[in-house]
Amino acid sequence: MAYPTFAKPETLNRRSFLLGTAATAAATMTLPGAAFAQAKGQLLLWLPGGSDLFCKVQTGMLTDWTAKHKELASAETVCGLGQDTAFNQALIGAITGGNPPDMSLLWDAPVSLGTQGAFLALDDMMAKSIINIDTWPGGLLASCQFKGKTYGLPVTAGIYSMWYNAEMFEAKGIKSDRASFPKTWVEMRALSKEFTVWDGDTLKVAGFMPHREAESLAIWSALNGGKLYDSANYKYTFDSEENIEMFNFFVDWMNEEYKGDINLVDRSGSFASGYANGTTGQPAAFRESRLAGLHSGSWLMGDIYDPAPNFTRWDLAPHPVGPSGSATVSGVWPNWFVIPANSLNPQAAFDYLTYLSTEGAVTWFENVPDIPTNSLVKLAPPKILVDHRGEEFAKETTAFYSEQAKIVTPMWDSPVQGFGNDQLKLAIEKIYTKAATPKDALAEAQVASQAELDRVLAG
Amino acid sequence: MTTDLIRRRTAPRHLVSSIIYHCVMLLFAAIFLLPFYWMVISAFKSNIEIFSQPIAWFPDPIRWENVSALFARTDFPFLRQFANSVFYAGAVAFGTCFSCALAAYSFACLRWRGRNLVFAFTICALLIPPIVTFLPTYIGWSRLGLNGTYWPLILPSFFGDAFYIFMLRQFFLSVPRELMDAARLDGASEFRIWWQIVLPQVRVALVIVALFAIVYTWNEFFGPLIYLKTREDFPLSVGLFTFRSQRAVEWSISMMGATFTAVPMVVLFLFTQRFFQQGLATKGLK
Amino acid sequence: MVAELPSSAGDPRGPRRKRAGRSEARAGVLFALPWMTALVVFTFIPLVLTFVIAQAKFQIAGPPKWIGWGNYEAMWKDSAIWASVRVTATYALVSVPIKLVLALGLAMFLNRATALSGFYRTIFYLPFLMPAVAGSIVFMLLLTPGAGPVNLILGAFGLDPPDWLKDPHVALWTLIMLSLWPLGVETLVFLGGLQNIPKEISEAADLDSPRAWHKLVWITLPMITPVILFNMVIGIISSFQVFTQALVIGGTTGAPAESTLMYMVVLYRAAFRYFNVGYAAAMATVLFVTVLLLTLLIFRTAKSWVYYEGEGR
Repeated sequence: MAYPTFAKPETLNRRSFLLGTAATAAATMTLPGAAFAQAKGQLLLWLPGGSDLFCKVQTGMLTDWTAKHKELASAETVCGLGQDTAFNQALIGAITGGNPPDMSLLWDAPVSLGTQGAFLALDDMMAKSIINIDTWPGGLLASCQFKGKTYGLPVTAGIYSMWYNAEMFEAKGIKSDRASFPKTWVEMRALSKEFTVWDGDTLKVAGFMPHREAESLAIWSALNGGKLYDSANYKYTFDSEENIEMFNFFVDWMNEEYKGDINLVDRSGSFASGYANGTTGQPAAFRESRLAGLHSGSWLMGDIYDPAPNFTRWDLAPHPVGPSGSATVSGVWPNWFVIPANSLNPQAAFDYLTYLSTEGAVTWFENVPDIPTNSLVKLAPPKILVDHRGEEFAKETTAFYSEQAKIVTPMWDSPVQGFGNDQLKLAIEKIYTKAATPKDALAEAQVASQAELDRVLAG
Repeated sequence: MTTDLIRRRTAPRHLVSSIIYHCVMLLFAAIFLLPFYWMVISAFKSNIEIFSQPIAWFPDPIRWENVSALFARTDFPFLRQFANSVFYAGAVAFGTCFSCALAAYSFACLRWRGRNLVFAFTICALLIPPIVTFLPTYIGWSRLGLNGTYWPLILPSFFGDAFYIFMLRQFFLSVPRELMDAARLDGASEFRIWWQIVLPQVRVALVIVALFAIVYTWNEFFGPLIYLKTREDFPLSVGLFTFRSQRAVEWSISMMGATFTAVPMVVLFLFTQRFFQQGLATKGLK
Repeated sequence: MVAELPSSAGDPRGPRRKRAGRSEARAGVLFALPWMTALVVFTFIPLVLTFVIAQAKFQIAGPPKWIGWGNYEAMWKDSAIWASVRVTATYALVSVPIKLVLALGLAMFLNRATALSGFYRTIFYLPFLMPAVAGSIVFMLLLTPGAGPVNLILGAFGLDPPDWLKDPHVALWTLIMLSLWPLGVETLVFLGGLQNIPKEISEAADLDSPRAWHKLVWITLPMITPVILFNMVIGIISSFQVFTQALVIGGTTGAPAESTLMYMVVLYRAAFRYFNVGYAAAMATVLFVTVLLLTLLIFRTAKSWVYYEGEGR
């Protein structure tokens, strides 16, 4: 009885098994995130993190532009794919996987990924367009170029300068106009002492802080006549005389004015930037009038009224010059625009890039105050400044940034930018916590970064 | 247990020790609860109140508006991400139960050549750190163009998972073999035996596996972070992370989000405690 | 861990049984087929490929360049690797034993029928239900200098709280502390083990030797050695793979001063920040071999200290 009936249900159950599998497969078809199905004529733009407003402005620009170009069926903007490493990871994944966006904004230097063949070299297309190589400031373009090829364009940029609280200056009887702002590090350090007040081990008020951010350190190095990376010779120069001198100056300053203890400063409040401390939640000292001045990027213009500072008149000034430096410089953190090597619509993407670097940059700047970098752009002042500080101040500030954009020092130009930056971060931490002397810490970072650079260059 | 009770009633020494015992346990409980408590009260404070001194152990006023603020955020589509999490956890739990019950049944109740070898491989697979197989798998999914979808996250669960197979097998082993043999003699197919006779016997085990799968998937971070691309697609675990990394200073909204992420699991746990207990008790068995 | 499977040898089977056996075997393979596919597709092939990628210098676009053992050589010379090995080993060596002892202690406390047992169990299990990201964020709030309750409580006892996340000598301990919080899982696994000890054995011990200490060392511990083994293996394997908490707290540089630089963080940044995929693959293979060897070692030694019921029968 057993045998004949055994075989039959066996086939039946195999079929039902297959059916079950098919049914479950069908059920999973109703997945939320549909694949980024990409077809010709549909233009896909990726954006790294950023505010809601940033996403909205970018989406609006792309939609408007696409509407004017009949050959394009539609356009899609994908916002908020995570920041920094998470975004890079998504982008690399998409490129290696063969389903990249047509174009993307990037907050990390394109050279690193460009040298690995991830991005299209734009030189041929640029030569035939209005945004040719002469229309970009050289210092800025350095962040996109490697061995004569351009792997992206810095369509807009945050530009670094000094910020100060004019009301705090005046309360101390110090002249608060831009021209009177300290011209050298020595002057700035002397001025800083005027403001600094300690209550036991708590820093109540401070003047200025010695610099300790790795990303923008290239500016301070240049202010002291030095360099972090020599792109012409493919050499890191972390431990050059000028850089060691710079950190010795900073540490000396720390010891004299801030009890030589960076942790005491950090416990007292967020003195390192114009923003609240992301880990401890302490509000920004600058906005509370507890810090007279700081080094920050132009993006602070867009953010400073959220949460609003307890004073009205902040102002901007060029960077002061270090002991071995000769002239002031500025620096940038650009919004780079790249076209993945296997983009399906490279020409359309480049056309959009042309628009974005010229007309688009104006709209962008009006809403989110990142400074347009192409020399063809004529600027109108950003709305947020006009609203809070009036037309004249807004115009004057815009003019100031346009000037600063012309003296940008080359930065973000290493093919191993992320690696070098992490090494530098570690060295800075060691220097300020006195775990190592500037000389030793920088030498260590130098050796590691140079080795990584050589490895990548070896091809 | 009864002897315990009698002893405690009769000896005053035991009353003292019992008080000490509860004091110690309550202290431990307080330590374990502190982070939860802090998360919830921070969610009902303003950003400034969270950091104000002296410390407020209770929010005053209770800011109920934080709840609606969370649901109103466009850069943190909470409800959408909540739905994603439900879908993701549900699909994985379903797939896991189905596929692991198949494999576990085969390992526990059916005899075939190579079974012990395959089972040994299963144990080995349990020991492989996921990162080791991650890179090629990732590239593979990318090549298939499925990067950015839920496929890489859900599909594998329909093929089984070493840990749950191991766990289920323990339960399947306790099903009396006579039951299956009798069914076979009656001419039932193996599929029917599995479906109608064995599965009902291990219903509890399936619930346990489903619950574990739901909790693990709900909190899963690395996979969705890597495979999913848009805010609209993220489950809550990743949504919370990206929201925080972009809005580091909005602590109360972050905490509100964290609270609402944790609450469904807590509720689920409270209703199904005894299953969790049973699952954990078998986890440590050989 | 691999239990003896019921053996089919010596089964007095007639020809009918044999026929049925063949169909049973067919069904067995069929039922295990999805899983066997998964083993091959999702585990075995990727594992082999990882070893292959580890031999290459990978470019994002374009063909890989084969460099043999170059990635391993570079690992050997990389100071970040050694720093992370130090950090990870310290973490594993400290957190796993502490966790085991605490969880076992707590389980013994819990293994007592009182009106509040269910309540305690629930509480200790709750942290496991919290997403790691949320957990890390809450811990940051708890440890905030000035406004965090932990420092307030310590201050009330006259203790000077350290810089939990900023001091390089303390940050790793903060991470370890964080890892102890979801202790409930291990505790409940131990509790399961304790409750599986046959009543007769436990009560007989009560009569023989009234001293609790003796009971613990001679009866309870030996009886739950399989559970200890399980928790230990899982604990060590997972402590080698700590990632989320370390990334949230220390970033990609393991701040402060590489003191929270876990091996997984170095691996992650090699792949996705420095775009050095071959190197990351080499790191993954080293991790694999280490875990494999350690597990084998534990199981080897386990034979001498783990007691299995029904052994030697």
